[in-house]
Amino acid sequence: MRNKVGNKSIAISILSSIFKMIRKNPVSWLIIGLTILFATLYSESFLTGTNLESILKGFVITSMLSIGPTFVVLMGSLDVSYMGIWMFGGALVWLLFPYLGMASIFIYPIFGLALGFINGIVHVKSKIPSFILTLSITAVLAYLTTVIRNIYGVLTLAVPEYRFLTGSLIQYVPTTFLLALPVFILSFFFMNFTKLGTYLCAIGSNEEGAELAGINVKKYKVLGFAVSGFLSGLGSIALYSYLGARAPVTLDLNEMIRGLAAIVLGGTPLVGGIGGPHRTLFGALAYVLIFNGLFLAGIDPNQFKLYIGLTLIAAVLIASRGLKGVLIT
Amino acid sequence: MARINLSREWLQRNLTTITPISAAIVLVIVLRILNPFFLTTHESVVTLVYGMSWFLIAACGLTLVILMGSFDISIPSIIKLSAMLCGVFYPQLGFFVIPLAIAVSLTFGFVNGFLLAKFNIPSFMATLATSFVAEGLAQIISGGYTRILQDPAFWAISITFIPAKFGLPSIFYWAIILWIIGIFITLITPFGRSVYAIGGNIVGARLAGINIVKVRILVFMLSALYAGISGILYAAQIQGAHMQIGVMDTIPLFASVVVGGTALTGGVGGIHRTLLGVLIVRWLDSGMSMIGIDYNIRMIVFGIVAIIMTIVTIERKRIKIMK
Amino acid sequence: MNFSDLSIIEVRNVSKTFNGVVRALDNVSINVKENEIVSVVGENGAGKSTLMKILVGIYPPDTGEFYHKGIEVPFPRNPGEALKRGISIVYQEKGVIPHLKVYQFLFLNMEEKFTRLGRLQLERILNVAKEVLDELNIKCDITSYMYELPLSTQKMIEIARAILSIKLEHGEIGADKLTPIIILDEPTAPLSLEERDELFNHLLELKKTSSFIFVSHIIPEVIKFSERIYVLRDGKLVAHHDLSKEKVVEEELFREIVGRESHYYLWSKYAYGKSELFEKEPIVLSIKNLSKRGYYQDISFDLHKGECIGLFGPAGSGKSEIAKTIYGIISPDSGTIITRHKKAGLNDEPHRRLKMGVGYFSGETGKELFLYWPIRKNVSLVNMEKVAKKPIKVMSIINFKAERSLAEKIMKKLRIRAPSVETECYSLSGGNKQKVSVGKWLERSPDIILLEDPTIGIDVGSREDIYEVLLEMKRSGISMILVSDDPKEYAILCDRIFFIKDGKLQKVYENEEFRKVMQL
Repeated sequence: MRNKVGNKSIAISILSSIFKMIRKNPVSWLIIGLTILFATLYSESFLTGTNLESILKGFVITSMLSIGPTFVVLMGSLDVSYMGIWMFGGALVWLLFPYLGMASIFIYPIFGLALGFINGIVHVKSKIPSFILTLSITAVLAYLTTVIRNIYGVLTLAVPEYRFLTGSLIQYVPTTFLLALPVFILSFFFMNFTKLGTYLCAIGSNEEGAELAGINVKKYKVLGFAVSGFLSGLGSIALYSYLGARAPVTLDLNEMIRGLAAIVLGGTPLVGGIGGPHRTLFGALAYVLIFNGLFLAGIDPNQFKLYIGLTLIAAVLIASRGLKGVLIT
Repeated sequence: MARINLSREWLQRNLTTITPISAAIVLVIVLRILNPFFLTTHESVVTLVYGMSWFLIAACGLTLVILMGSFDISIPSIIKLSAMLCGVFYPQLGFFVIPLAIAVSLTFGFVNGFLLAKFNIPSFMATLATSFVAEGLAQIISGGYTRILQDPAFWAISITFIPAKFGLPSIFYWAIILWIIGIFITLITPFGRSVYAIGGNIVGARLAGINIVKVRILVFMLSALYAGISGILYAAQIQGAHMQIGVMDTIPLFASVVVGGTALTGGVGGIHRTLLGVLIVRWLDSGMSMIGIDYNIRMIVFGIVAIIMTIVTIERKRIKIMK
Repeated sequence: MNFSDLSIIEVRNVSKTFNGVVRALDNVSINVKENEIVSVVGENGAGKSTLMKILVGIYPPDTGEFYHKGIEVPFPRNPGEALKRGISIVYQEKGVIPHLKVYQFLFLNMEEKFTRLGRLQLERILNVAKEVLDELNIKCDITSYMYELPLSTQKMIEIARAILSIKLEHGEIGADKLTPIIILDEPTAPLSLEERDELFNHLLELKKTSSFIFVSHIIPEVIKFSERIYVLRDGKLVAHHDLSKEKVVEEELFREIVGRESHYYLWSKYAYGKSELFEKEPIVLSIKNLSKRGYYQDISFDLHKGECIGLFGPAGSGKSEIAKTIYGIISPDSGTIITRHKKAGLNDEPHRRLKMGVGYFSGETGKELFLYWPIRKNVSLVNMEKVAKKPIKVMSIINFKAERSLAEKIMKKLRIRAPSVETECYSLSGGNKQKVSVGKWLERSPDIILLEDPTIGIDVGSREDIYEVLLEMKRSGISMILVSDDPKEYAILCDRIFFIKDGKLQKVYENEEFRKVMQL
């Protein structure tokens, strides 16, 4: 048995699988197509540094909110608690800042992880449908955020010391993008280099079969939610400067949808078993590009909802090709 | 062995009837204590009616969908769009906004059902997407501005008091009639039976020769129709339309269906139960606002109530795998 | 039965009763030797799967001894312990996870062996996967998804996984003298005919290093490929054949499986005329060149009014798929189905076929019946036209009184034992459930009814009642097509029996001929 692990050959295989991925995924064609389209139509505004910067920013927001939940969608469930983690985690940061200083931002992943565990355990024990469960928990978190705001009588829970996060260390590359990179890397790691990715796919693809193969399905379901929460929490660090605990707290279904939209656009159907964080990144990029294009075209931002809806319909229609024979409600 | 299972079944079966009834009784008592005028004055009854009528209509539509085992998130958005259509186009079309709103609603319903039946797209996802389209359209036609309906003839659809002095506004009667029609459809027609069948055992429904595609599309169209009518009546009631209609109503609507005793899994419960669920939800809402509980907290309470009732009504034995 | 020194494992006097009532196994003893394929055959409910589950540690037996190479050891308490003994199982269905890649599935639940510092060593996994598959002569791309592979390859990979899990649990084979024993539960049922041959060729290769317990009820395969055969019936071991010493004929096995002593002598009551009688009757169903790749090919026949045709053959012969196709549950690739002088669309859903006069009754009441619905509702579901009236043109209403009396009529006719028409079906016994199911079709009186395993798993008395009903339906002019595993059923109900094998119509028997052949 060959024990020598060739680093070069791993790099080559990763690269070649990336190329294969790009070729196979319809979304990547969409992205390439849109890029070309916008570059020609709006060449003055599209290919500028500022535009690139805003695309990257949008990309970061969308992807940070959707990478975590991708793991849960892989198993066939839904997790919308990323908004709650973002909001309430921000409140926690604000609360802890006087005591922990700059380090208090690291409460985010810890909180996310803890919340993920709670989601997972409650879902597995009580069999409450995951969508309803995570939606309600988000509602609770939203409320708690307002409570904290009310108790302390403040309008915003932003911490000025973190301002620098909104800027760009390198020109046109927002700091948040750099902060997002560890999340990307971690998600790839979880997906491809640990059992977790495989097992979650297995559970999503054929839960009974996974059980028969000896997998502790309950345990991995809980882990799936935990990872989702952890990644969302970590991702929220990158997003701390945007909205978060600052914005008015609404249980706006529309904002919540961003995450799911990116996942679906990327080609991870909601029934599970197929897809992964790499696809979600494509989806997030596509999502952002579409809206960038609409914005450049001068369409009223208030009408975006319509286009989100139409895009979603198109996305699920494309994704539905893989769903033949599955019994859907 | 069979005996023991039976009584557990019996308990659970009747739990879904006992719970809402006792909850309703408790609520009435508590509310009475909080506000001695509750339900004793004409005014308080009218307020209740204005709050629950449009809601009941929408909840009936949602109940039908849930009975079939699906979900419909687009109802609040369709209500909004329907109301907006009335508000925006009344000056040009007069009462013809009504067929317009209905036609538009039916189209959305058709799309929802079609996406599910022909493309196998989970109903949650499909209706979510169409809700966005509806919202977007509402935004476009109104420009985001609130519309006022100036014509008392239009208001009269909803606010005519029958009988004139101490009666109830007409919207109440519309709601009750639609509710009764809903009960009729679900309990007495073969179509209603097939809705229960699909919700209860989709494989068996197919084997029994039920046209699943047709029923699914019809159900979503009905749900959208109810939502559309609710929107029209609501616009008449508040004499206008604005972009905040239906916002945050998904959870209370869902709660009212589940609290009434219709299980999320489908095949169990019914529109007849939804009236009680709606009453409970509206009373809960009034009670909480009387105590001065914040709007957001009220949402959370509904969420929790919905979860509890979901746990109570879900026939977990039947479902080995819950996602 | 003495145990030979060559046997790897042996179990003796295994008994298992469920809920104090159902005796699944009664004093069964079997053994498995090195490098052999042992078959365990029997009807549904004979106890095969219970025995296998005990062997892999899913539950313990009530009585029995377990010998490993002649030494008595306790029964495995869980699948992990069974693995340590070298026993692993490949399930009939739902064992494959379609969206995993081959190498992911191959090593599922065994990843710890390939993890270092919390990181999966992909390179190593890929290498070992390639090696394993090459060794077992399975040709496929290890990075492809499981669903992309043909079914036989999927099955082979499942088997490879089973062998691998034993190896990994126990170190290398040969060195430690451990021969893996792989239990194959009905492995060929979902496979097409060419795929089955492939599978068996592989198994014969694998026999050199492993032993197999082959659980099946496909007689021809069992005779062709096993060294020894155990026959279970009603939880008892009724026969053991050593094929190196004796030759076994298919019909003999059939009889042992099904039981020579029939509980009922009904079949003698009903005299059958020749099929010429039916030829004068109008044709109600005409099937021409019906084909579905991998399942059945070029099926053609005509069904006359009042006639009952049996599609007889081993499991996986395609008989069940043909029946399902006629009702629209699955679609054929090509061919024609003509009923009521109209061509049916090939992709029709059941509701279309129902309107064209076809019905379908399955013995699997879990799927067919609405268990939480009362009898009344179950009966009326396919009889809506009878219990609903149309006061206005577009709206029909259910007449509850009519519904109730319809259900009462059925209950009386079929002697369904239940408190009332409002009784919910889950509380009924198996036989009564079946009766509700068949009762609704009796009322519906379609022109043609497909019967799939109509009396599976029910008691003798109910079985008789159902046969009476079916025969009455037949006499009233309803045509039937029967698919079943019980030859006696065919003998009782069918006028002509088509022998289906390998997806093709091989031979047509008259009822009398069939009985002779089956020695009933």
